[in-house]
Amino acid sequence: MITVTLQQTFLRTLSPLLRSLEKPLRSWLDGRRKHPVSLLQRAELEGLAEDLRRKSDALDVERPLLVVMLMGGTGVGKSTLMNALAGAAVAQASFTRPTTRDPVVYFHQSVNPDRLDPALRLCRLVRHNQESLTQKVIVDTPDVDSNDLKNRETLKELLPVADVMLYVGSQEKYHDQIGWDLFKEQRQRRAFAFIMNKWDRCLQDDAKGVRPDDDLIADLTREGFASPKLFRTTAQFWLDATANGETLPPKNLPPGEQFSELVEWLERGLTHLEIESVKARGVGQLLAQSLNAVEAVMPPELETQADKTRESWRLVLADEARIGAEVLVSTLEPHQKEIEHQFRVRGQSRFRGLMAAYLGVGAKLRNAGSTLRTRVPFVPRIGTSEPVKDVQIDLSTFARDCARSAGERVLDRRTPALVNRLLLDADQRGFPFALLNEPTAAAGKLDWDERYSRCLVESLADVERESTAPVGWRAFFRGGVTLLANYLPECVLLATISLLMWRFFVEDFTPSFFHILLPVYITLGVLVALHILITFAFPVSWPAIRDAFQTKLQGKLTAEFEAGFLPVPHEVAATIREERTEVSKMAEEIRTVAEWLNERETASHVGDLYGK
Amino acid sequence: MNTHREKLTQLTDDFDWLEEHCRREPELARHAEHLHLAAALARNIIGGALEQQPPRPLHLAVVGGAGAGKSTVANFLAGTPIADANPQAGYTRHPTAYLPATGAMPWPSYLGFLGNLRKLTDTQPASLDEDVYQVQRIPARDGASEPLQDYIIWDCPDMTTWASSGYISRLMEVSALADVIVFVASDERYNDEVPTQYLQMLIEAGKAVIVCITKMREADATPMIEHFRKEVLAKRANENQSAIPPIPVLAIPSLTKEERADPAGAGARYRIALINHVLALCPTLDEARDRTVRNAVQYLEKASESLLSIASNDLAELDHWKATVKAGRTQFEERYRREYLAGEPFKRFDRTREQLLGMLELPAGLRYLSAAFALLRAPYSYFREFLIKLAGTSEVPPLPEQAVLRTGFDAWIDTLRAEALKRGTGHPVWKQIANSFEAGLKNQALVPFEAAVRQFELKEGDELEQAGRSLTDRLAQQPIILGGVRFAKVSFDVLAIALVLWLTWLPSWYHLLLIPLAVSFTHQIFEWIVRGTVEAARFSARNKRESLLGAHLTGPVSEWLQAKPLSEGSSIERLQSVLRRVPENIRELAVIVKPHPATNAP
Repeated sequence: MITVTLQQTFLRTLSPLLRSLEKPLRSWLDGRRKHPVSLLQRAELEGLAEDLRRKSDALDVERPLLVVMLMGGTGVGKSTLMNALAGAAVAQASFTRPTTRDPVVYFHQSVNPDRLDPALRLCRLVRHNQESLTQKVIVDTPDVDSNDLKNRETLKELLPVADVMLYVGSQEKYHDQIGWDLFKEQRQRRAFAFIMNKWDRCLQDDAKGVRPDDDLIADLTREGFASPKLFRTTAQFWLDATANGETLPPKNLPPGEQFSELVEWLERGLTHLEIESVKARGVGQLLAQSLNAVEAVMPPELETQADKTRESWRLVLADEARIGAEVLVSTLEPHQKEIEHQFRVRGQSRFRGLMAAYLGVGAKLRNAGSTLRTRVPFVPRIGTSEPVKDVQIDLSTFARDCARSAGERVLDRRTPALVNRLLLDADQRGFPFALLNEPTAAAGKLDWDERYSRCLVESLADVERESTAPVGWRAFFRGGVTLLANYLPECVLLATISLLMWRFFVEDFTPSFFHILLPVYITLGVLVALHILITFAFPVSWPAIRDAFQTKLQGKLTAEFEAGFLPVPHEVAATIREERTEVSKMAEEIRTVAEWLNERETASHVGDLYGK
Repeated sequence: MNTHREKLTQLTDDFDWLEEHCRREPELARHAEHLHLAAALARNIIGGALEQQPPRPLHLAVVGGAGAGKSTVANFLAGTPIADANPQAGYTRHPTAYLPATGAMPWPSYLGFLGNLRKLTDTQPASLDEDVYQVQRIPARDGASEPLQDYIIWDCPDMTTWASSGYISRLMEVSALADVIVFVASDERYNDEVPTQYLQMLIEAGKAVIVCITKMREADATPMIEHFRKEVLAKRANENQSAIPPIPVLAIPSLTKEERADPAGAGARYRIALINHVLALCPTLDEARDRTVRNAVQYLEKASESLLSIASNDLAELDHWKATVKAGRTQFEERYRREYLAGEPFKRFDRTREQLLGMLELPAGLRYLSAAFALLRAPYSYFREFLIKLAGTSEVPPLPEQAVLRTGFDAWIDTLRAEALKRGTGHPVWKQIANSFEAGLKNQALVPFEAAVRQFELKEGDELEQAGRSLTDRLAQQPIILGGVRFAKVSFDVLAIALVLWLTWLPSWYHLLLIPLAVSFTHQIFEWIVRGTVEAARFSARNKRESLLGAHLTGPVSEWLQAKPLSEGSSIERLQSVLRRVPENIRELAVIVKPHPATNAP
């Protein structure tokens, strides 16, 4: 056995370190985050944070106390053992089961009770004056297996305090499932030594099976305890002898009885150094467990999934935009006259004089039906929307009503469906559904009607600008036509009037009624001819602009959809990455402390208490 | 008889499956043992009763926690140390039957006897850890009386050690078979949770139980029995609010070596007390066996009542799935209504209107009169058409029906799939549904969907044509009414003309212009009536279309989807059939088994 002297302040140095680990863990647990943590994981982490705090408190002293806890089924003799160790009836022991309900804490009188862990302070405190047990606190606990389930709760509350568990078994109970499960659950966290009490009952000359102690040792070997510390005791004999004032050891002890070895081990075997080593080891195991737990809640890397999701969402959204544009355009369809009129009025603003007057009258006539129509509801069947007030003047109201109507008819129901589509698509790309669900649904709840109408207005404006402001040779051509249309009618009028005057004054020609109106006819003829030219050269008809409009609208809708949905995967991925950074920082800190501890952890002769 | 056997096998299979099912879900784990016992009772007791097994031998099982002294008690019952009493906890790993020393004993061999336990042909140590049982004969002792000569004594494994999960089914099998059970608890164990639960279960199953507390100091025997009665029996009875029959409790204190070695001699006082209790519980063989059968039937009936609580979780999830499907269906129908139906003009009815108006014109020779009226009306008609054209707006065209149906279906499936993913971490049903989506449930669902669509389209075509034609046909089939209407129309026209003439007599030429106006007016009234009728028909056709959609498309598809998690050998399907079958089978078997005990019962 090699024992390297630990630095005096070694354990004490650990205390602030543990606290510095606990704090981020606590704040992590208190914070809200996206990546889901199961209830079990959360409970485990909370327990670990609590343990870190306890350990840190317990180590923040000159000479740390070693808590040795007796654990086992009812009637195996925990209290009897305790009494035998104390040499007096400090714990209640009786034949009724279960006996112990209140745990007993047995500690040296020099220890201030305030130094005990809070969980222990609530128990029955018994002081003693055995110098050899100065640094040790022995705790008798209630049972693990009786019908009194409250006892088990009490034990579970006490367990985190223990450094060394004394697993007490009797001939009947050493193999019991409940105790064994508890042992397996705790063995990673604490040192374990074993007691086979009522040893006298284990010895039977003609027995066929395995002797209980061998049986238990075999089990423990399978669990990784190569040479477990097992004491075979008959505590009752020792207690009886003490009570009767007989000399110790009692006379009729069964062969192989080891109570005195147990006392020896407790009093002298667990030296100051071993206590430190056990403590350090306990911390080491706590750290290892914390590391595992923290790594288990490490959020995944989602960048590649986010990229993939984004690409495939782009297709879905483009498809959706195509359908959205179709629906919106088909909603506009019945109002082509209004739209044409709108365009025409804009187009006419270029013209002046006679041409403008002529076109204005024509447009008014053609639009007579629309003014009638404004008095009937815009959407007859699903009549929840307001009727359009004035189509000609307010294009944006018109577009908004149109979008709302399209929404009521089709689009509103498409949005939740789109959200589902996107979520399923992301799931196929390996992006966790649970993470994406909420933000995507939120994006689906944006005011899409508003966006649709914005797209509609903008597309209309764009198409209008393009069709009213052509480029290249068409611009020249139109400039020419406009010039022509602005001056030709006036010129013709003037010319014909002049001609008429000239003939009247110079040639002395008397014009008839027909001749007097001739300038009007000719000018009108010119106007009509110009009108025909304009109509053919610059068609302002719905079928002509429909496709351009739909393409434009689709582009705008795609942009809107992409702005609404596409950033979601990367935003989520970024949040998760932040969380990941946080968790991995915690893990890194734990690892650092654990390594630091490892370098200093030395005494190997407590290995038997741990197993592998 | 064979059908009974089949039923029994089915019943026990169902119980076994239910047990497995419960073990898979942590919330249901507490039911597992009860179901196991139910299966074992069905096999061992009902199975025996169906084949009219004689009451001899009665089975006496010794059960208890590890190290409590089961083998010692078995030895006391046998009268000689025959069972391996052993300090190793959990040494005994399979049941051993001890036959009386003398006399022939018919060995029961009916289907279901001890379930899957195999009889060992040779003597093996009790620690053999296999699904077996062995039979040994108690060695004869000279001149010893054999009070239990009609009994087979079973020494059983424990239920407390961590290895016991591997062999508790063997214990359960023998416990179910037993007519009388001696429950052994030591001074350490008598208030332990696990054995107490087992005891509780035996009591609930209506077994005749004797409790035997062992190993205490002689002086502690009486207070310990009292404590046991108070702490364990009374408390349990209170918790379960059920009347528990008085249970005999006796003590076998810590034994000396002599008492242990010679139960019939040195330990006779314990042996006699024990045997007396056994015999007191079973005054006659018939009575004891009848009680066993009766109580087993009762237990099974109670078990079948508790099945619903076992399944409640699954059924709740199933209901949730159904509700999700239904919500999807509502969405689908809503979409169809808004995207297609609301915009669909049903042009067929325009034709019907024309036809109806045409029918109102006078037939044969009088048609010149009609033509004359039509001529009079012409200016008004043209003017009206012009106005309508000027003010008229075209409707928003509906989306194509096929596309609406298809996208609606896609959205429906997506909703379900998203829901399954959302709940995937919860109940296994959702996991299963999510998996079946992975495996192409959507494509599977397309098959019934497309069939339904075809059906629906055939129906809707027929329906529309029929609705359109029914108006004209109805009128055509009733010539009297048709004639009446025609006559009414003509007389109105004539009346209107007469009215004009009378009011403006003698009329000047511009007064005559009023005549076409009057005729147009009367015609307009008739046209309004016809239009109203046709519009009503159009409206009802629209409604009809919705109900058609429900009946031929969404209805069948939604049923298919609702039933989906119930098919293909899924656990829910099995659960449902088990829920149906188990109570049925128990009822039928109970009827066959019950009559005997009812008459013999005291």
